[in-house]
Amino acid sequence: MRAETDSTFTPRRTEAIPSAPRGNSQKRLHGGFPTFRGTSFLAIACLVAVLGCLMVQPSHSQVNAQTLDFIQDEAPVANAGPDLNVTAGKVVILNGSASTGFEGAANLNYTWNLTYQSRVITLYGMEPTFVFLTQGGADVNLTVRDSVGRTSWDTANVAISEPLKTFMDKYLSTILLVGIGGAILAFVLLRVLGRVLAGVPVVSEAGREKIRLGSKKYKGIVKQVLRSPMGFVGTTILVFFILMAIFGPMLILYDVHEQHVELKGQLPSKKYWLGTDNYGIDIFSELIYGARTSITVGIVSALIASLLGAAVGLYSGYVGGWKDEVVMRLNDVVLSIPWLVLMIIVAAFVGKIDLTGIILIIGLTGWSYTARMVRAQVLSIKERQYIERARAIGSSEMSIIRRHIFPNTFPLVFANTILTVAVSILSESTLSFLGMRPRGQVTWGTMLSFASEASAFETGHHWWIIAPGLFIVIVVLGFTLLGYALDEILNPKLRHR
Amino acid sequence: MAKRSFRRIIAKRLVNVVLTCIGIMILNFMLIHFMPGDPINNVIPHTSKFDPSLKWELREKFHLNDTLEKQLGWYLWNTFTGDWGTSYMQNQRKVIDIISQDLQWTFLLVGISTVFTVLIGMGVGAYSAYRRGGAFDVAATSTSLFFYGMPTFWFALILQTLFTHPFLGMQWWPQFPPGGYYDTVRYGATLHWSWPVFVSIAEHLVLPSITLSIGYLAGVSIIMKSALVDTMTDDYILTARAKGLTDYQVLRRHALPNGMPPMVALIAMDMAFVLGGAYQVEYVFNYQGIGYRTIQAIGNLDFPILQFIVVVGGVAVVVANFAADMILLYIDPRIKIA
Repeated sequence: MRAETDSTFTPRRTEAIPSAPRGNSQKRLHGGFPTFRGTSFLAIACLVAVLGCLMVQPSHSQVNAQTLDFIQDEAPVANAGPDLNVTAGKVVILNGSASTGFEGAANLNYTWNLTYQSRVITLYGMEPTFVFLTQGGADVNLTVRDSVGRTSWDTANVAISEPLKTFMDKYLSTILLVGIGGAILAFVLLRVLGRVLAGVPVVSEAGREKIRLGSKKYKGIVKQVLRSPMGFVGTTILVFFILMAIFGPMLILYDVHEQHVELKGQLPSKKYWLGTDNYGIDIFSELIYGARTSITVGIVSALIASLLGAAVGLYSGYVGGWKDEVVMRLNDVVLSIPWLVLMIIVAAFVGKIDLTGIILIIGLTGWSYTARMVRAQVLSIKERQYIERARAIGSSEMSIIRRHIFPNTFPLVFANTILTVAVSILSESTLSFLGMRPRGQVTWGTMLSFASEASAFETGHHWWIIAPGLFIVIVVLGFTLLGYALDEILNPKLRHR
Repeated sequence: MAKRSFRRIIAKRLVNVVLTCIGIMILNFMLIHFMPGDPINNVIPHTSKFDPSLKWELREKFHLNDTLEKQLGWYLWNTFTGDWGTSYMQNQRKVIDIISQDLQWTFLLVGISTVFTVLIGMGVGAYSAYRRGGAFDVAATSTSLFFYGMPTFWFALILQTLFTHPFLGMQWWPQFPPGGYYDTVRYGATLHWSWPVFVSIAEHLVLPSITLSIGYLAGVSIIMKSALVDTMTDDYILTARAKGLTDYQVLRRHALPNGMPPMVALIAMDMAFVLGGAYQVEYVFNYQGIGYRTIQAIGNLDFPILQFIVVVGGVAVVVANFAADMILLYIDPRIKIA
């Protein structure tokens, strides 16, 4: 029952599942000689049986003939029920009770093969239940077998519609965002109000000076980044693609989520610059739209990975002792497991593979390097004199971490996050290519995956494969260049000893 | 004193290696067993002739009805006694047979590509460091960064398309087979070594190994360059030059040996990672090594194979790290405490 969750994915080159002929009219009997099908076979079999009966037990011929009548007339007839329209996520009862057989419907042996998400799932029983999680379609194939061993089958189609959205589903993110924003605003207002009531100036002299110095340092870094060739090229690339990610989807002419099957597989033309894909969606529009999703996936999952890694590294490095050992051994284990398998396992826990799911998968598997690096940095900072001084004047542990250790590891984490974004974008495309596509989303990775499945090179859609790949390369290059440049500027000691 | 601390370092590392390996096994077991999906549904044939009650026998056979602790016990016991079980699929072949066969092919692929990567990468890196800032350096660095950011599967697809039929109708264009180990149609499915088979295997290796090499080439050449640049700015290089050695002698005798440590670590890591991770190349080129098997096993929820692959891959990384550490300790006396 759980086998169909979306985390499982199918290799591309496995054997295609032979599609069963559809329609209720095509029913045939299994088990006959290949040359004697249907009525001719039955007639001959009947003749032989009757002759045999007459020869062996002439006195009971009446009874046996009646039994034979049953077998002749009431061969099982499968009935998989009408085509279904179901909602994703709801329990569906597959009803095979309309099937007939000479012993009655209840005594038949039912085997249901569901072809769903290019996998075959087998269920048994007259009325099995099943939960379809993904919207789309499924083929149901019911095979019934009676005690004599004769079989019959029937198919039905299931159309799975999008799950109904509850109020919370729809507005959860909005509520969360408004809540967080409100909390921050309230916090700031309260602080300001408190200061005003206490008669303290809202922004103190020291605070102003701090801000001035901070912005000066920040401006200096930006200037340095732009002056280094790597940083300049990286920034230019990123500015271009981030603008594309923000404004691109507003400018494209075609909706990337709307399928037009009648327009599928068009070659590049004036109307469709790069042609259309197998669902009749404009490839150029997808390309532009993909910038938004791909870069979002990259940035958000890199942020998650960095936050997790920094937290683990800070904890492990600062606490030391056996706790540090335990965390580091665990880290080693995570680092050693082949990454694809690790991602699949995490995917199984995350469950749903949509955009959030993919982000979580990449974020939750990518923290080990950051943790190790941050830990090394913390270990070296911990021994420095100013930490000892801070401790001597009575700073609490938390405040030492917060005010002295974290700010000193931050540049490292920051540069590393930028580099992680590049890796995350690559991971997303690889996962998509290997079959774990964020559902209902257009990213460069899913484009490549669909393109290679449709063997785009053979059908003349070269750009369908080349363009998304090139965009990935360029964006990854941008993030890598910027990351290296920042690393060199922010962490000079690491580069030049 | 020095010798004792050296031994202590090794002992501590060894303990870590063992702990990590056990950790990999336990984590591996836990994680894979919490994955959703019923593997038995995949083993049984999808025909009505199959008797559903056999399903329970199979579950019994694979210990899937026991409690989790018992299953873990079984798993660890079997791991250490060398009984890795049989695949759920694959006609229930022994896992160890399947994997060792796959490993041979993966070793061939990874070995060849690693040799090329290391040789070319070190050469490119050394020359870039030697003429730092020159045209070659800039070209090499930007090219390798470009390849570094390339999705491997994409590059594989493009190579596959470019080199499997005449490009733009040019007959002299080199063509290679699109996938597989060797020409099984002509030479049969079971491998009999002969010269034509050898040539066929070599032909089939060209595209996958090039794809694999180019992905890692970038890392190797960049690390090589930065390691060399670091040593080239040291004082003793200046001394060597002052003695009147030629540039080549300085590079070969003084700079290269000191630039080696990061390379050793990198090569060890690459070897280990690629062993468990040439997924994309093997997948695109239909080259049925470990990576291909992993993908297949995931698709089929073939737990015995998956577990074996995770353990083999994980232990390979741990052992490679350990070996690299040991080599580093040996060749770089400056590393005393780790």
